[in-house]
Amino acid sequence: MILPLADVPAPHIDYKGLSPLIALVGGTVLVLMAALLRGRFVQRSLLPLLTLGTLGAAMGLSIWVWSPGDHRPIVESALEVDALALSLSLVFYVAGIATVLLAHRSAALSDAGAGEYYTLLLSSVTGMVLLAEAANLITLFVGIELLSIPLYVLCASQVRRRASLEAGLKYLVIGSVGSATLLYGLALIYGAAGTTSFAGIDRALGDTVSLSDPLLLTGIALACAGLAFKASVAPFHQWTPDVYQGAPTPVTAFMAVATKAAAFAIFLRLFDSALLSAQFQWAPALAALATITIVVGNVGAIAQDSLKRMLAWSGVAQAGYILAGVVVGTQKGLEATVFYLLVYLLMNVAAFAVVIARERVSEWGDGMRALEGLGRAAPWLAWPMTIAMLALAGFPATAGFIGKFYLIDAAVDGDYAWLGVVIVAGSMISLVYYLRVVAVMWMGPMEVRLPSLPGRPRTAKPVGGWSPEADAWAQPEVTLVAVACAAATMFFGIWPNPLFDLVADVGTSLASLVG
Amino acid sequence: MLQSYLPALVFLVLGGAIGGAFTLLNGVLGPRRPNPVKNEPYECGLPSEVKRSFRFGISFYLIAMLFILFDIEVIFLYPIAVQLKAFGVFALVETLVFIFLLLVAFVFVWRRGALEWK
Repeated sequence: MILPLADVPAPHIDYKGLSPLIALVGGTVLVLMAALLRGRFVQRSLLPLLTLGTLGAAMGLSIWVWSPGDHRPIVESALEVDALALSLSLVFYVAGIATVLLAHRSAALSDAGAGEYYTLLLSSVTGMVLLAEAANLITLFVGIELLSIPLYVLCASQVRRRASLEAGLKYLVIGSVGSATLLYGLALIYGAAGTTSFAGIDRALGDTVSLSDPLLLTGIALACAGLAFKASVAPFHQWTPDVYQGAPTPVTAFMAVATKAAAFAIFLRLFDSALLSAQFQWAPALAALATITIVVGNVGAIAQDSLKRMLAWSGVAQAGYILAGVVVGTQKGLEATVFYLLVYLLMNVAAFAVVIARERVSEWGDGMRALEGLGRAAPWLAWPMTIAMLALAGFPATAGFIGKFYLIDAAVDGDYAWLGVVIVAGSMISLVYYLRVVAVMWMGPMEVRLPSLPGRPRTAKPVGGWSPEADAWAQPEVTLVAVACAAATMFFGIWPNPLFDLVADVGTSLASLVG
Repeated sequence: MLQSYLPALVFLVLGGAIGGAFTLLNGVLGPRRPNPVKNEPYECGLPSEVKRSFRFGISFYLIAMLFILFDIEVIFLYPIAVQLKAFGVFALVETLVFIFLLLVAFVFVWRRGALEWK
C-alpha cells in the first residue's frame, strides 16, 4: 500500500545566491564533455581555459552575490550564504586557478588525462564551496565527501610514479577513516540534539539538551577527530608528510591551502556556531590539540630534507596556529582565523610554485639542494621563496606577521593567553627550518669555473641541475604564480587594510558570536 | 525511556530464535551425502583453488563497478516516481537534472571506451 503524502512544499531556493555553485557544476560538466574531443588544441589549451573560465565566473558571481553583513539561506535549511562562506570561497577559487596554472606542464596531466584532471579539480572546489556554505550536518557531510573523493584520485593522478599511487592510496584509507569518524560523530550529535540544522542544534543546546549529555560529548569528540584528520591536526597528521610528498606537487599545493581552508570553514561553522554553547566542554580539548599540533609540526619540520615534506610539517604547525582562532570562540577569533587562511593561501602557493619550478629541472627533485645558489641563478624564483619563508615564519612587513599577530591577539583576548605564548614559541622553533631554506638559496657556494673553449670563459651558475630550462622564465606561468603570490604577501603585509575590511565583514557572519 | 527499545530487543530475540531453529533443524533432519565438490567452499561459481598467479581481467571490475553505480543511482528515482504528485513540479525538474547529470556521466564512460570488453 502506498501512503499518500500531504503536499510537500518545494524548498525556497535563492538562485542568485546559488549561482556560483551552478556555474561550478555547469563548468565541470562542460569540461568533462570537452575532454572527449581529441586533438592537441582541446587537450592542451581549451580544457585549462575552460577550467580557468569556470573558476573565474564562479569568483565573479561570488563577488556579485556578496553584500556586506548579509546572512541568508540560499537553499532553505541546507545552504547559507554569508561573508564567511564567500570569503573562503575566494580562497578555493584562487587556489584552484593557481593549481591549473601550476599543473600546466605537469606529468600528471598527460598521465591521467587533462579532462579528468580538471574535472576532478573542479568537483573538489565545488565540494569546498558547498562545505563553506553548509547549514546542516547532511550538507556538511556531502560537501566533505565531494571535496575528498576527487582529491584521492588527484593524488594518484601521476599513475606512472609509484610514490603518487602510494600517496593516493594512503590518503584514501586515512581520509575514509576520518570521514567515518566524522560521520559517526555527526550521527551522535544529531541523536542528542534531534535536529541536523546548525541553527537548530544551537537552539537545542543548553535548552532541551543538557551540555553534559554523554551522547553529545561523544559526538563532538568524534566530529572533532574526523575534522582533525582533514585539517591535519596532530595527532591525526601522520598521513600529511607522505601524501604531500607523493602527490603531484600542484595537487599538494591545492591540498595544502584549499583543503585546510575548507576544513577550518567547517570547524568554524560547527564549533563556533552550532556548538558554541558547549564551548566549555570542547575548548580545552581543542586548545590541547592546537598545542600538540604546533609542537609536533615545528619539531617534525626541522630534520626534513625534502621541501615538500618540510612544507607538509610546516602546514601541520600552521594548522595549530589557526586552530587557536577557533578555540577562543569569539568574533575576533573568527576574524583572525579567516585572515590567516587568506594570507596562508598567498604564502603557501608562492612557496609551492617555486618548489614546482625547481623540481621539474633539478636533479635533486624537491630536495633542499635543488635551491642551492638559486638567489644568483634565478632571482625571480628566489625572491618569492624568500618572502614566502619569511612570511610563514611571521616576519614583520609580510602578511604572515599580521596574521600571526591577529591570532595571538585573539587568543589573549579570549582568555587563552598561554596559547598565544605557544604560538610565539612555535614560531621561534620554525625559524630553524624556514631560514635554512633562505640560507641555502642565498649563501650557497660561488660560481664555478668550467673547463671551456679557449677565448670564451664559461661560468656555470651553481644551481643543482642547472640547464637552460632552469631559467625562471622557461615556465612563465609558474614564475608568474610565485611572483604574484609573493607580491601580494608583501602588499598585504605593508597595507593590510583591504583584508581588515574584509574580515570585519566576515566577523559579523556567525550570528552566535555577535553581541 | 529504555522501554522504547523493547521492540528492538524482541526483534533480536526473534531473529536469533528463528535463525537458530532453522540451523538446528537442518543439522538434525537434513540428509548428508558428501562428495568432494560439495565440500568445497562455494565462491561465485569460480574454482576455489586460486593460484597465486591468477588474475582477474580489469574489465570485469570496471563493468561491475559501473553497473553498481548506475544501478544505485536509478534506485533514487523510485521514491520520487512513487510520490511525484505530492512532491510536485519541483521534484520533477530536480529529477530531470539528476538524470541529465547521469546521462553526462554515461556519455563520458561510453565515449572513453570503458564499456568495451578488452
